[in-house]
Amino acid sequence: MNTLKIALGWVGKAAAYAVMGLFSLMTIYPVIWLIYNSFKTNAQFMVDKISLPNEWILSNYVGAWTLGTFDMLIGNSVIFTVLSALGIILISVLAGFGFAKMQHKSTGPIYGSFVMGILLSITSLMVPLFIQVSQLDRLISDAFHAVGLFAGHDVHVFYNTGFGVILIYVGSGLPMAVYLCTEYIKSIPTSLVEAARIDGATYFSIFWRIILPMSTPIATTIAVINVPGLWNEFALINILVSDETLKTLPLGILRFNGQRSVDYGKQFAALVIGMAPMLIFYFAFRKQITAGVSGGAVKG
Amino acid sequence: MATVVRGKVETNRAYWTFITPAFALYLFVFAFPIILSFVLSVSNYSGGKMFGGDPWTLTGFDQYFKLANDSNFWLALKNNVYIVLISVFGQIPLAFLLAYVIFRKIVRWGEGWQAILYVPAIISVIVLGIMWKMIFASNGLLADIINALDTQTFLASLNGLLAGGFNVTDDFVQKLLAISDPRALTGFANPANDVKELILSMGYTAANLDVFRSDMVNLLAPKWTPDFLSHQDVAMIPILFVTLWVWTGMYIIMFHANMQKIDSQIIEAARIDGASELQVMWRVIVPNLSGVLANAAILCIAGSLNTFALIWAMTAGGPMNITQVLAIYMFQNAFIGVPNFPLANAISVFIVLFSFILIGLTLVVERRYGGRE
Repeated sequence: MNTLKIALGWVGKAAAYAVMGLFSLMTIYPVIWLIYNSFKTNAQFMVDKISLPNEWILSNYVGAWTLGTFDMLIGNSVIFTVLSALGIILISVLAGFGFAKMQHKSTGPIYGSFVMGILLSITSLMVPLFIQVSQLDRLISDAFHAVGLFAGHDVHVFYNTGFGVILIYVGSGLPMAVYLCTEYIKSIPTSLVEAARIDGATYFSIFWRIILPMSTPIATTIAVINVPGLWNEFALINILVSDETLKTLPLGILRFNGQRSVDYGKQFAALVIGMAPMLIFYFAFRKQITAGVSGGAVKG
Repeated sequence: MATVVRGKVETNRAYWTFITPAFALYLFVFAFPIILSFVLSVSNYSGGKMFGGDPWTLTGFDQYFKLANDSNFWLALKNNVYIVLISVFGQIPLAFLLAYVIFRKIVRWGEGWQAILYVPAIISVIVLGIMWKMIFASNGLLADIINALDTQTFLASLNGLLAGGFNVTDDFVQKLLAISDPRALTGFANPANDVKELILSMGYTAANLDVFRSDMVNLLAPKWTPDFLSHQDVAMIPILFVTLWVWTGMYIIMFHANMQKIDSQIIEAARIDGASELQVMWRVIVPNLSGVLANAAILCIAGSLNTFALIWAMTAGGPMNITQVLAIYMFQNAFIGVPNFPLANAISVFIVLFSFILIGLTLVVERRYGGRE
């Protein structure tokens, strides 16, 4: 009986390893396949998609880089991601301080609306959002034209500007970040704030000297969970900019979809360039990302 | 007294100063667009200047009736419901099982498995969509792997036939045809006779059997050409698979982290009382994690009803709308060809309402059946 149990235990263990191994292989093999094929010649790829390159070449990368204007795309992605993440952190710590430490009758409904907002996906709002920003720009243009400024050309503030993109990126990250900050700042002892108030400190200096420094852990969490989403964002940037000089990496990668399909090498190299920055980010901040995901702070 | 009043005024002013940036942006990015999409969905606004351009008015709910009679909308909704279902009833149970296997240390190196399984979630879905499109393509990686395996099987059978010596008899040809792909034989009027004559005419000898083998592989071995996108009933399979593939790792991490918060004494006690691993999972872990499972289901629903970029990269909803989903149908109505903003906004309103209904349903189920510790 005992032997049977032990034997069954071993079978179960072997099955568990097999299932785990199979799933991990299925997860990681396509990514590795993509990477090693980016070093293959087109000629080899046409006849053999499975094996490693006979000859490892770098020219796919050189070609893809020039064709894809990746320095500009990556530059834009870095600027949008960093500024949006900083904006999300600053604005949500400010609001979190207000909601958590200042008694106010408006906190219930306003904070509640942020928590509701966690469930809203901005993808479903891209059409009205596009109409809103483009019509606002028209109103602003008309106002300037009415007073004789910028006559003859359209003024853009929200649509097709870096400012507009960052504004909307910050807004879309706020519900989750405000929720995380508020709950976190609630755990900072109120006596600290009260003592500083009695000493005559203004709320602004309390924010600057106490709340912001003490919020570093939650700010880090917000940064690591937002950076991948901002970097990979596609649906909004796709409709918010038309100017080539404002496009980001995902938009640039999409240009390699199909049209240049005869040139597999460059296509693979472009895809690897597209995923490399976030893979590096993942390996650098895996612990923090995992902690953020554990709390359910990342939307699938 | 005066200081208290002044303090209250100052607190009030500070409160609004601190929350206004967040609240204003929230209104700008979420609240106004929701109101705008509803207003436009019951209007005849067709683009152009909204103020001071062509006049437009509110015309009522005709766009919603149009949607109800629009077969493309129903197809998009059906496909989208498939994605919700594979997310809620595929990702979550699968992730739960794998998280449990790691949590109970049935396999070692748990953190490593989790680290690997999370990798897809960090990569741009545009990159992943293009990658999987190439894997599922008619001449893609999947076809090559399956055909390579089939060729191996065919070669093994062929070598079995050749073990008795190379002798082109009727019996040999019959056996050869039996291991061949029936589709490869459709080109012959009389396969048994034609194949035999073909082999004899090529003049193979026992010395150049390798040539014979490779010719037979080319001629007769099973060859599969994936063709997902020409049939409506299978077109969604690659997309559903990739949806499962991308996000399961995220839920593994979420479930595993929350399993670790469960008091280990409860589990040990259950094990000592003779409960099997499956019983522990079903009677101890699931009830303890019902809140987390409900949260995961809500995230799944919110995410999968808005799925856009992945499908945009893989199929863009095509061909002929057979992989259409709500967000892409909305996008196409607004931005491709002549814009139909009222209809696109009606779809937007529908997505928001539908996701709140499904999320509400999830909460009701959790409240009704969820365990309380």
